[in-house]
This record gives sequence, structure tokens and C-alpha cells, in this order.
Amino acid sequence: MRRAVLAGAAVLLVVVAVIEWPAEAVDFADRLAPPSAAHLLGTDQLGRDVLARVLGGVRYSLGLGLLALAVAVSVGTASGLASGWWPRHPLARGTQALVDVLVALPALLVGLVVAAVLGSGLVPALLAIVVTGWAPFARQAHRLTVAVRGEEWVLAATALGAGPRRLLRHHVLPAVASPLLASIAARFAGTVLTLAGLSFLGLGIQPPTPEWGAMLAEGRTYVFVAPWLVVAPAAALVASTLALGCIAARPGVLTDRS
Amino acid sequence: MLAVALRRLAWIPPVLLVTSVAVFVLPRLLGGEVTRSVIRARSASSTPDPATEERLTRELGLDRPVVTQYLDWLGGALCGDLGTSFTTRSPVGSEVLGAAGVSLMLAASALAVALAVGVPLGALAAGRPDGVADRATRWGGAVALAVPEFVLGPVLVLAVAVGAGWLPALGWGSAQEAVLPVLTLAVWPAALAARLVRAETAEVLGHPSVRTARAKGLSPRRTLLVHVVPRALTSVVAGAGPFLGGTLGGAVVVEVVFAVPGLGRLLAEAVGDRDLPVIQAGLVLVVAVALLAALATELAQMAADPRLRP
Repeated sequence: MRRAVLAGAAVLLVVVAVIEWPAEAVDFADRLAPPSAAHLLGTDQLGRDVLARVLGGVRYSLGLGLLALAVAVSVGTASGLASGWWPRHPLARGTQALVDVLVALPALLVGLVVAAVLGSGLVPALLAIVVTGWAPFARQAHRLTVAVRGEEWVLAATALGAGPRRLLRHHVLPAVASPLLASIAARFAGTVLTLAGLSFLGLGIQPPTPEWGAMLAEGRTYVFVAPWLVVAPAAALVASTLALGCIAARPGVLTDRS
Repeated sequence: MLAVALRRLAWIPPVLLVTSVAVFVLPRLLGGEVTRSVIRARSASSTPDPATEERLTRELGLDRPVVTQYLDWLGGALCGDLGTSFTTRSPVGSEVLGAAGVSLMLAASALAVALAVGVPLGALAAGRPDGVADRATRWGGAVALAVPEFVLGPVLVLAVAVGAGWLPALGWGSAQEAVLPVLTLAVWPAALAARLVRAETAEVLGHPSVRTARAKGLSPRRTLLVHVVPRALTSVVAGAGPFLGGTLGGAVVVEVVFAVPGLGRLLAEAVGDRDLPVIQAGLVLVVAVALLAALATELAQMAADPRLRP
């Protein structure tokens, strides 16, 4: 039942992300209008419909967050599996040392560094998230792999002649996947917040693209006359992270096959 | 322990040197873009003419080889001269240090508030699992961890400063002006501390030593305060890395939201304007602080838990 609700919500979000919302349609005759029947969440300083912008932001705030997370998970899991399987290899040790440093660095500060080097924009923001984001997954995959390595069924598979590639892909990865999946949901919320935070600081996605963090930064100037410009993107952002937090608190929803 | 501290301290200067090279050289590979950003920041005109661009490039010293520029900067930096800002034309050293002091005040007060609120809440919640305090802390904590500073800040401004008119919305300097920024920054670490202390306290409560303490006649409250909470605090020390990191990152946002003249705001603006001298000095300082904080965390962990000592 819960899985059905979750799947429904995911499908709905994908549909919202794919639809072209009129998020950048300007109407100077109808600026800073409060919520009404014509504009359910009001309009902004350029007369753009806030509801359309919030819905249009799903693609950027959640979609790009998911993209950055997918890259971070892939890189982190692959490196964690390898470093956990050959823990004494110098490369594995180097990776572990790097991971130890990276997990302590705040993503927002790394975003500042990346923006200082590459300039601000979508690609630097995603890069900043991936640069630190893969480290926690690498650490977790490493620990899980080290734990699984000594199991008898791994020994049995080795005895049957499976090489390291087959062992890692068909035996170790499935065994470590479900705890990793649980932490992905938790990290997704953090990724979305980091991306929105970078855009809020003007280092990530730039206006007029309807990203929630960038919308908040724009709307802050008008908070006295048009509070809905702040409330709408803030509510969208908090609702998403809260929902992801709830999923992360009950990982069984994602991993139970019963 | 001293040997570990010294060995790790010795690593910090080389790491800083590498950081400074990266932060110095990479933006300069962009070429003319830097000069154009500086012109945009100094004047409102968005289409600089080539003559101005060339003159400014020479004035800022950006036409010289990168290696010469770097060695010049490094020599100055080692003597305490960090150059002048591209945009404000004031000395970078005093600008960055003044801003860092403000950031330190902000982060330290927020962490103090967070620990003062979060630790007792976590202990209280663990004292009676599934009780009122436990549920309230769990739900409040989930909400607090889901709301970022750049949402909480504007919402607090809207509610407390604009709606009720109790406190000023922006600024830094008086005690009233400090309330909202410190509060905004404190919420996330407080929730994290409460969660950590609650989890660890619950675990320690199941330990045989707690049963012994109760059996010899100690009251539940005394057992909790004397035997359980101090031990649970080691988990907060162990988790201090992400704790400090998250607060540092949050401070950047809070400074921008409340117009606090701290290091984060200075850096965010400098990055936008490509003010390279400010970026170099600020980022090297931030990395140095992060490295020292990580070292201090590790040493504190060793002090709290003898098993970690070499």
C-alpha cells in the first residue's frame, strides 16, 4: 500500500517535471499580484505566475538533485566496492584517506571553491555536489564490502571459480545494495538542499530559471510587499525534504520485497 | 597523543600550499573573463570597451605570467601582505580578518545555543522512550533537519521582524540584531545534537553498568545525569566533524540572509565578482580552520576515549 502511494507520488513528480510550465511568461500588467483564482499562488515582480514557477522548479530542484546524486552514488559505490575488496592496495588506501577528508568538508564551502574556479552556473554547482557527495557512499560501500568479504558464500563463489569482477557484480553488490539504498533517500534531501543553497547564494542555477533556491533569493527582495514569493518556493523545498526524510526514516518501504 | 598532534600539524602547511596554488592558478586560466567581471563589479556598465579592459588587466597585474604572479603573492602573503581587493581596493588582510572575527562570533554563539538546547533535549527524550518529550524531539528534529537556513531565515524575518516587529530584520552589531541570525544558525546543530545524544543515551541505558547503578540505590535522574549522559556526549564529540562543517556552511547562508558582514558573505560576493585576492586569502583561511577543527576533533575524541589512542 505504502509502496503504491510512493510509486504514485514518484510518477506524478516525473510528469510534473516533464511538462513545460509557463514559468518564464512575463506579464507586466499583473505584477506582484496576491494569490487569486487566476494565479493561485500570486505573481512575482515580472508578473510571472508563481505556481507555474514552483511546478517548473521540480525539474531543476529535484531532477538535477537526483542527477547529481546518481553520479555521486555510482562513483562512490564503485570506489567503495573496489577499495573494500582490495583494502591493502595503495590506490585503495589513497582513496580512503581522500574520503576521510572529503566527508568532513561542507558541500556549500566546496561549492564556493568550485564557483571561484569555474564560475557560477549549473555545471559547477552539480560538480561541487558530486565532488563531496560520493565520499559518504564510498565509505559506506567500503565498510559493507569489508564485512561481506569474509562470508562463507563469498568463499563458496570463489571456490566455484568466480573472478573478482563476477564476485563484485553478482554477489557483493546485491548484498550491500539495500543498506546503500536506504542512505540514498537520506542523502537525496541533503543534495536537494545543497543545490538550492548554492543557487540561493547565486553560485548555482541562475534566474530566470525557476529553481526554488534561486526563486527564494529573488523573492527575498520583495518579502515585505509580496510574502508569497518567499513562502511558495520555501514550502515546496521543505515539503520535498520532509517527505524524503520520512522515506529515509523507514527504509523498509524501499527495500522490502514482501 | 602529542606525537600524533605534531605529525598532523606538520601536514597542514603543505596542504595549504597546494590549496593556495589551486585557488590562485585555476581562476587565472579563464583569461579576460576576470577583468570583465571586475569591471562589471566596479561600474554598472555591462559592455566594457577593449581599451579599458586592457588597461585594467595591466593594472591588476593579470598580464604577467601566472608563476610570477603566484610567487609575488606568496612572498607578500608570508610577510603578512595579502594584496588589495580588485573591487573595493582596500587591503585584503584586514578585510578578511575582520570578517572572520564576525563569523567566529556568529558560529560560536550558535553552537553554544545549539548544545545548550540540544543535549538536554536528547537526554530528556531518551529518559522515557516514546514519551511526550521523545515524540516532540523526534518530530521537531525531523522538521528542523529538513528546513535549511535560507528558508528558516526569511521565514523568521517575515514572522518576527516584519509581522510582529519585535526584532530588526537585518544587520549585525547590537544584541537585538544578533538574535535572529544566531537562532537561525543554531536550529540545525541543535536538532543534530539532540538526535545524536538521544541515540547514544538509549544505547548506554541498556548497558549493565546502568543496572548496577540503579541496583545500588541511585535515583533514575542521578543515574541519567552522572552515569549515562557524560558517556553519551562522546558521540557528540565523535560527530563533531559534520557538525562543525554543517555550521560553517550554514553560516555562509545566514550571513547573506541577515546581511552579517562575515567571511561567508565576503567570499560569496568575492566569488560573484571574481575578486581574486579576497578569494585566495579567504579560502586559504577557511581551509586552515577546517583542517585545525578536524585535528581538534580527533584529539578530543582520543581524550574522551582511551581506546583510540595509539
